[in-house]
Amino acid sequence: MELRELRDKTAIVGVGYSERQGKVADSTPMRLALEAAKSAIEDAGLKTQDIDGLLIQPVMGGHSYDIAARMGIDLRYTANVDVMGASSGCITSHAAMAAAFGQANYVLCIYTTMEASGRAVFMAGGPARSSGAFGLFGAAMEYGLAARRAMHEWGTGPETWAEIATNQRKWANLNPRATMYDKPMTKEDYLAEPWIAEPFRRADCCLVSDGARAFIVTTADRAKALKQPPVYISGLGQYHHTDDIVQSKFATGPTGAKQSGESALKMAGITLKDISACEIYDCFTYTVELTLQSYGFFKRGEGKDFFKNGRTAPGGEFPVNTSGGLLSEVYYMGFTPLTEAVVQLRGQGGPRQIKDPHYILSSGNGGILQTHSTVILRR
Amino acid sequence: MTMRPAGPPPTRPVPGVDADTKPFWDFCKQHELRVQKCTACGQLHYPPSAFCPHCSNMTSEWVKISGKGKVYSFVIVRRKYPGFDQVPYVVSIIETTEGMRMLSNIVGCTPEDVKIDMPVEVTWDDITPEFSLPKFKPVS
Repeated sequence: MELRELRDKTAIVGVGYSERQGKVADSTPMRLALEAAKSAIEDAGLKTQDIDGLLIQPVMGGHSYDIAARMGIDLRYTANVDVMGASSGCITSHAAMAAAFGQANYVLCIYTTMEASGRAVFMAGGPARSSGAFGLFGAAMEYGLAARRAMHEWGTGPETWAEIATNQRKWANLNPRATMYDKPMTKEDYLAEPWIAEPFRRADCCLVSDGARAFIVTTADRAKALKQPPVYISGLGQYHHTDDIVQSKFATGPTGAKQSGESALKMAGITLKDISACEIYDCFTYTVELTLQSYGFFKRGEGKDFFKNGRTAPGGEFPVNTSGGLLSEVYYMGFTPLTEAVVQLRGQGGPRQIKDPHYILSSGNGGILQTHSTVILRR
Repeated sequence: MTMRPAGPPPTRPVPGVDADTKPFWDFCKQHELRVQKCTACGQLHYPPSAFCPHCSNMTSEWVKISGKGKVYSFVIVRRKYPGFDQVPYVVSIIETTEGMRMLSNIVGCTPEDVKIDMPVEVTWDDITPEFSLPKFKPVS
């Protein structure tokens, strides 16, 4: 069998949101997960009892079956899947294969977090690290090390990142669900933002959020009978370079987006020219630039011009991160960009709806550029 | 998996020591910068690991390296963290002349003077009686 046999055989048929997102200190990760699950099931026009597969990205710890227990369902297929920011695409891949081969009819996929309320368990376990002894705390510093090197090698920097950040903010200003919905940002505002870890200002960094997001995968045949227009899973790819930032030979690209993207395009039977828009994993502004560059949308260093004149902003010729993304909508890792791709392909984006998209590419990126996944969806 | 709050721990972190990393930090305590040399293929490897990433062999010896290298990249940290109240400070990836990449700090100059590819050499910071950190300063 070949991966391309899976092309368009499965679809995303439901998208679910927690009732609130952003800062929800009075909730619980379980409650938020259940809210998103219920919302996705209703969106698809299914009943809870139809769900027989469940995949979660367990950033809060816990097990998928505990959520199923609260939902009152048994499962034929389940797993915890965690490769940090690439999990969304990896989960989609697991779900598509499970549905295509009949291990489950409807696979519910959930991300839930209370990171904004200080209850994340990121980075527990793993090999002994000494980075804290040298004052290295958190992803902003680690991605900052990659970004600084790229400034040296191919001349990126705040000029480029300001375009990315402000373009995405304009999308968020059209999305009532976005944390930054009512907070416009100019280039001057961007430059006035405080340093988090130089060369990154606060506006270069993703939000920290509470809340949950869910989606449901089933076969293309079942999808046709459901409530929403099916959004087909056309292409899937993964590539994981694995080395941490200190040992990284890909901090300035190409990242795993290159191989991951090639795999997804091959499965979908299309080229980059067929992509209408991108929903890119944007933990940092630099990640957007590096990922699009690694996919091959522009050559090394050409990001300097690529984002100018609002090309990726509302009304631009190449929309990127149309919900506002992790920078300006909400941080649910890869679930934010992936679910937004579904909304756009259904034509349900409201004020932020892009014109007539056919294929949308969504990326996941985890660790410090160590894991990568690509999902190409079509309507 | 244990629950912990987001963000850095409340006190100054010391290096993470387990059976794999202990020899490295024991040599540091003696102000010796050593990395593993595979007894099968003879290549050096770092960070400490039971497994040679070049040939999959699982035995090694600890050999001294020069302590010289250059700056691969760096960030400037301007906010205070527990144990890091002297700001700004520089966190850097050093590439040693032997090709090892190490996380460290650049000391002995202002953050504004740090440049990528700048030659540096090791200098020792005895942060506790148990731990000495290999830091790097500009080559004089």
